[in-house]
Amino acid sequence: MNRGISVNPNVVVKPNLRIKAFYLFFIITSLQTGSGIMGVPRYIFMEAKQDAWISVLIAGGLIHLVVAVMLVILNKYENADILGIQMDIFGKWIGKLLGTGYIIYFFFVLVSVLVDYIQVIQIFVFPRVSPWLLSLMLILLIIYAVSGGLRVAVGVTFLFFFFSLWLLIFLYKPISLMDFEHFQPVLQASPAELLRGARKTVYSYIGLEILFFIYPFIDNKRKAKQSAHLGVLLTTFLILLVTVICIGYFSGRELVEQIWPVLVLFKIVEYAIIGRFDVLVVTEWMMVILPNIIFLTWMITYSMKRLYKVPQRKALYAVGATAFVGAGLVKNEVVILNYIDRVATAGFWIAFVYPMLLFPIVLIKRRKYTKQKDGKD
Amino acid sequence: MKRSKERKSKAKEMFPLSIADLKKQLSDAMHDNPDFQLQEFQVGASKILVFYITVMINKNQLNSSILSPLLSKKNDWTLAEIRNKLPLGNAALQTDLKAIMDDLISGAVGIYVENEEGLLTYLIPQQEHRKVQKSDKESTVLGPQDAFTESLDTNLNQVRWRLNSNDLVSEKIIVGERVKTEIRLMYLKSLANETDVQTMRQRLQNLVMDEIEDATPLTYFIEDSSMSIFPQFYQTELPSRFTYSITKGKVGVLVDKSPTGIIAPTTLFSFFESTEDVFMRWNVGSFIRILRFVALIISALLTPAYVAAVTFHYEIIPTPLLTSLGSSRAAVPFPPVIEAMFLELLIELLREAGARLPTKVGQTIGIVGGIVIGQAAVAAGLTSNILIIVVAISALASFTAPSYLIGSTIRVIRFPMILLSGFLGLIGVMAGICFLVIHLLKVTSLGRPYLLPAYPFNYKDFDNTFYRLPNFISNLRSVSFRPKDMIRYKQKRTKKMKDIDE
Repeated sequence: MNRGISVNPNVVVKPNLRIKAFYLFFIITSLQTGSGIMGVPRYIFMEAKQDAWISVLIAGGLIHLVVAVMLVILNKYENADILGIQMDIFGKWIGKLLGTGYIIYFFFVLVSVLVDYIQVIQIFVFPRVSPWLLSLMLILLIIYAVSGGLRVAVGVTFLFFFFSLWLLIFLYKPISLMDFEHFQPVLQASPAELLRGARKTVYSYIGLEILFFIYPFIDNKRKAKQSAHLGVLLTTFLILLVTVICIGYFSGRELVEQIWPVLVLFKIVEYAIIGRFDVLVVTEWMMVILPNIIFLTWMITYSMKRLYKVPQRKALYAVGATAFVGAGLVKNEVVILNYIDRVATAGFWIAFVYPMLLFPIVLIKRRKYTKQKDGKD
Repeated sequence: MKRSKERKSKAKEMFPLSIADLKKQLSDAMHDNPDFQLQEFQVGASKILVFYITVMINKNQLNSSILSPLLSKKNDWTLAEIRNKLPLGNAALQTDLKAIMDDLISGAVGIYVENEEGLLTYLIPQQEHRKVQKSDKESTVLGPQDAFTESLDTNLNQVRWRLNSNDLVSEKIIVGERVKTEIRLMYLKSLANETDVQTMRQRLQNLVMDEIEDATPLTYFIEDSSMSIFPQFYQTELPSRFTYSITKGKVGVLVDKSPTGIIAPTTLFSFFESTEDVFMRWNVGSFIRILRFVALIISALLTPAYVAAVTFHYEIIPTPLLTSLGSSRAAVPFPPVIEAMFLELLIELLREAGARLPTKVGQTIGIVGGIVIGQAAVAAGLTSNILIIVVAISALASFTAPSYLIGSTIRVIRFPMILLSGFLGLIGVMAGICFLVIHLLKVTSLGRPYLLPAYPFNYKDFDNTFYRLPNFISNLRSVSFRPKDMIRYKQKRTKKMKDIDE
């Protein structure tokens, strides 16, 4: 094989650092349903109107395709991540350049998630709290978690998935108040509108890239496929659920006006001991976004180590400090929305189109390769 | 080889020697200790020296088993003869002064016959210790009531008696440079995970320190992370709890002079587990165990949640409750954080005072604290009624934990949580929770994750951790700790259900 050129793309992972494929399901779902899901129904609705749910399904189908492609690419190597694959295919320097692109992209996603959540806190809970304070708090949590390595990152993701799952139960209230006439007439949107709607779903699906980075760490790779697809399936289901509820619950005009329609859904839930449920949801949402930002930071610092041999701890502090400044600086609401929009666009190209472009190249370059270990593990 | 030769030659230099010389050497080594007794006897033609530390030995035994047979004979003694004739089994031939000293301070009687090649020591120690009593730190309603004492012999006896199987291994390790303390590493050979045993053995053997005060300080030297606020080894004074854990494949450590047994590896959840749950019916046991987890959440989060809601988020309190809360708080001039900190501090003071004072006074303190101060504080407008209830509930809840250590940990955690909630409301509390979860994920006990079986996830272990299942389902040991043998007993009951009236 053409291994002789430059770098060995494979990663050697110590046995005690490996994780089970079982956790991949939670990692993928948690990373995808980060901050995007709070506002996504509105964006899809703006493109595809009452047929937004079809857009979600289309997007879900496409994401499954992307996952399949990513797994084929990864399986063309013994135990490689995207950084190694890029260096193998494009040579050392272009590979490093593309890897740096990933790092920068992840950093912008990280800042976008932070900014988004801080803004939600400001609007729903504390109108006058300093974003610097919130940003500092979140960054400290990130630094503390990432310094524990991948094991802690996975643990946080796994536990917080269950800690935040109960929020779904309280959607029963808006569901009971849905008006199914809002869905009629069906199939009014043109295919172009549906696809544009599907593209708008992308910000919610960002996070899938983790597969490219975490794959070498997975212990039983045969089950990885199943886990990854199930994870995407759950994400699709969740987005579909909130989209359908939002369309049924809000009238079209209302939905367009809500920046975070999903949070507003919880506003009407009320009990004898709790008056406003949305405050709790925003608080609880920290458990939804923490896995996101922790994994993003882990990917950034890990890539910096892999590409430039920077000690991960130092990289972590540097990234933390930069993200702190970044999240504190972006304040204005319009700027935030604009910024998130840009990140979503970048995410569309990097997370979903890029693997598709990489796919034929890898196939051609590695056509002779068959996995020796197949059937063994 | 060379060394042993050297020692031999040295010993030859010491023995044989005259009684007068030995006396001098021993007295010098004992720094002229007034408790050190040297008695010279003349039996037949042989001169015999008997020496011991008076406070360390059993005098009855000395008289009946050593002195009277020794003195009743008319002709000469040789060492070999003494060894044969004395009705004591544990004679040791010593030729080295240091070894003799070690024996003496642990309660031995030394016998030397002049011009012999060595001397004999007999261990007849007498240690004063309290009798086996009822445990009051970890009291249980059902099940065995006895507790460990300060004597290692008694403790070993209790453990051996409960686990009368030759499978029980007890390894002796001596720790302490200046003051030596005997430590016993105990586990079931056919069950305990080799890695766990090896790790524990290694940590104890590698421990270099001047002295050990007790088992509890010992754990702080050998646990995984000293920085954590969470205890990483389970400490118990109940032999039943100790043996229960050992039969589940864990490793136990007993320390001489300490009434506390150490159990490892352990998880956060095992601190909320009491042997009593096993004596209850499974459904009642499950209920109580779940109750304790609820109590954990209440005691850590109720006061912070109250402070957060009253300081920042009035909107989450429903209107009817808000009015009564408002009227109760109307007279209070402080922000809720100060109010809550004040009351929590009061409760902690009461607890600490109650623990330090003699029992009789302690009861009075309880009454004074609970009724007088509480009522007076409300009347004086220092706190609100509702907060007193909240603080009382969380204080009560923190005492439900079967382990005193984890109860105090939770009570300490509450203070930063209250401060966070006064500072950033519910967001602050949530950040605190997230921090704690991340921290707990980082903690290990004997190298095993602290949050087993929640993460790494192991569904099979949820039984016996979070709840208990009936015995015909629950027949396995904990998977997470990888004991050598998983199955406790074979499932016998058929799963087929009988139809009605058959």
